[in-house]
Amino acid sequence: MTRWWIALMAICVAAACRRLQPGDPVRGLSAAERAQFDSGRAVFDSVFTPEKGLGPLFNANGCKECHEDPAAGGTGDEVERHATAFHANAPPGSRMCDELAAQGGFVFQNHVTPLLHAALGIDSEPIPSAATAVGRRTTPEIFGFGLLDAVPDSEILAYADPDDRDHDGISGRPNRFFDGRLGRFGRKALVPTLREFNDGAFSAEIGITTPAVPTEETVAGTPIPPGTDPAPDPELSDHQAELATTFVRLLAPPEPLQMSREARQGRDVFIRVGCARCHRPVLTTGDSPIEALRYKKVAAYTDLLLHDMGPNLGDICLALATPTEFRTEPLMGLHLKKQFLHDGRASTAEQAVEMHGGEATKARDLFRALPAGDRAALLAFLKTL
Amino acid sequence: MDRVTLLSLAAFIAPVALAAQARPTVPHDSVRGAIRVVDVRARTLEVTTGVGFALRVVRLQVPAGVPITNQQRGQHEPIRLAELKPGDVVRASFGARPTGFVAYTIERVGRMDAGVHSTP
Repeated sequence: MTRWWIALMAICVAAACRRLQPGDPVRGLSAAERAQFDSGRAVFDSVFTPEKGLGPLFNANGCKECHEDPAAGGTGDEVERHATAFHANAPPGSRMCDELAAQGGFVFQNHVTPLLHAALGIDSEPIPSAATAVGRRTTPEIFGFGLLDAVPDSEILAYADPDDRDHDGISGRPNRFFDGRLGRFGRKALVPTLREFNDGAFSAEIGITTPAVPTEETVAGTPIPPGTDPAPDPELSDHQAELATTFVRLLAPPEPLQMSREARQGRDVFIRVGCARCHRPVLTTGDSPIEALRYKKVAAYTDLLLHDMGPNLGDICLALATPTEFRTEPLMGLHLKKQFLHDGRASTAEQAVEMHGGEATKARDLFRALPAGDRAALLAFLKTL
Repeated sequence: MDRVTLLSLAAFIAPVALAAQARPTVPHDSVRGAIRVVDVRARTLEVTTGVGFALRVVRLQVPAGVPITNQQRGQHEPIRLAELKPGDVVRASFGARPTGFVAYTIERVGRMDAGVHSTP
């Protein structure tokens, strides 16, 4: 009998210590939370058809069409188009960025349903001539986003140094949504909360209306023609939208790989050359109704602030973000990535570092000047994240 | 219903009202967002709002006599339409009329670039 108990205990310990796989929930969920995670995954995995509300403008037919690799919540090969108009010489008191929201922006969908195609003869949403830039956007992995959502605003703002008062050449500043709240999600840190990020995505990416976003996207500012969207609104209930967000909220961040001695050296180099000034290794969550997300250290490698990355990477503006400003990309899960930077232009982490400019120029130049061993160590470290 | 949903609903009442424009009733809705355009001569405002990446613009007519205030340190100081600027964060109540949305009250609560601490 004792032997059986020992075997059972060993199995339990092994299960508890099993490395989390991409797509797994965070550890420590209650049974009810785990059940919600599973229910949410079903919504996340849903494939929408026009009869179920897809479109009539859309980028994908469900969350998982884009967030699929290596598991639900991961990345994908889709690239979408964002466009805005930036007026650098706008007079004082006016906004420099026009998100083209009155003309269907800033997300311009790549696909239309057959009914909309028949009505308008278009295959995608046209980008208005007022746009000054079009940005390509790859699909971000959303593992660990629930933890990022739980980081208090105060922690993010504590890293901000918009006027570079410490004279280190790094001047992270917050982006803000249109109602003035601090943004954190999206490559330009536009969106304040995970729930809004997801509710907005149902509309802008899939063309699915929810109680939070009860109206369809327009076609470059013109309401969709009658009869092109047969499903009654809202096409997804608040409960279903909340479940989808719960699934994303509880997705665990990818576990870093075990570090070799070289990678551990690389971690020191990462800090020495200044990468960690923006890619902050650890953020701490605040209070949360979910114990598994409450007061946790997150190896996020971001400050969730905007930084000038130089003209070579620049594309669209968004809210307070100028074309060259981007939110520091979280590096958690970097070992899973196959393409890098906001538009996927880099195919290795090394290329991505080489393409850093603006506030990151000094760190990039220090990286370039590293002895071969240190450079290899830093890259070995990045491959463990 | 959680707070975020309530916020989102508040921000998106406007499009719902648009759909209801043809109805004889006059719904009383509200929106919170950043001013995009102020046209003092035409007495109109455009407010950018939305949820996540799904952005919308709400156009409001502002008849003379509509109370416009600036919220500062808990006080509501009357201001003129011409004092509103793009990038101001406003909270507006409005109703749907056959001619479009008509503002009932407009309250400036801050600036986008400075942030707004009060809850929407």
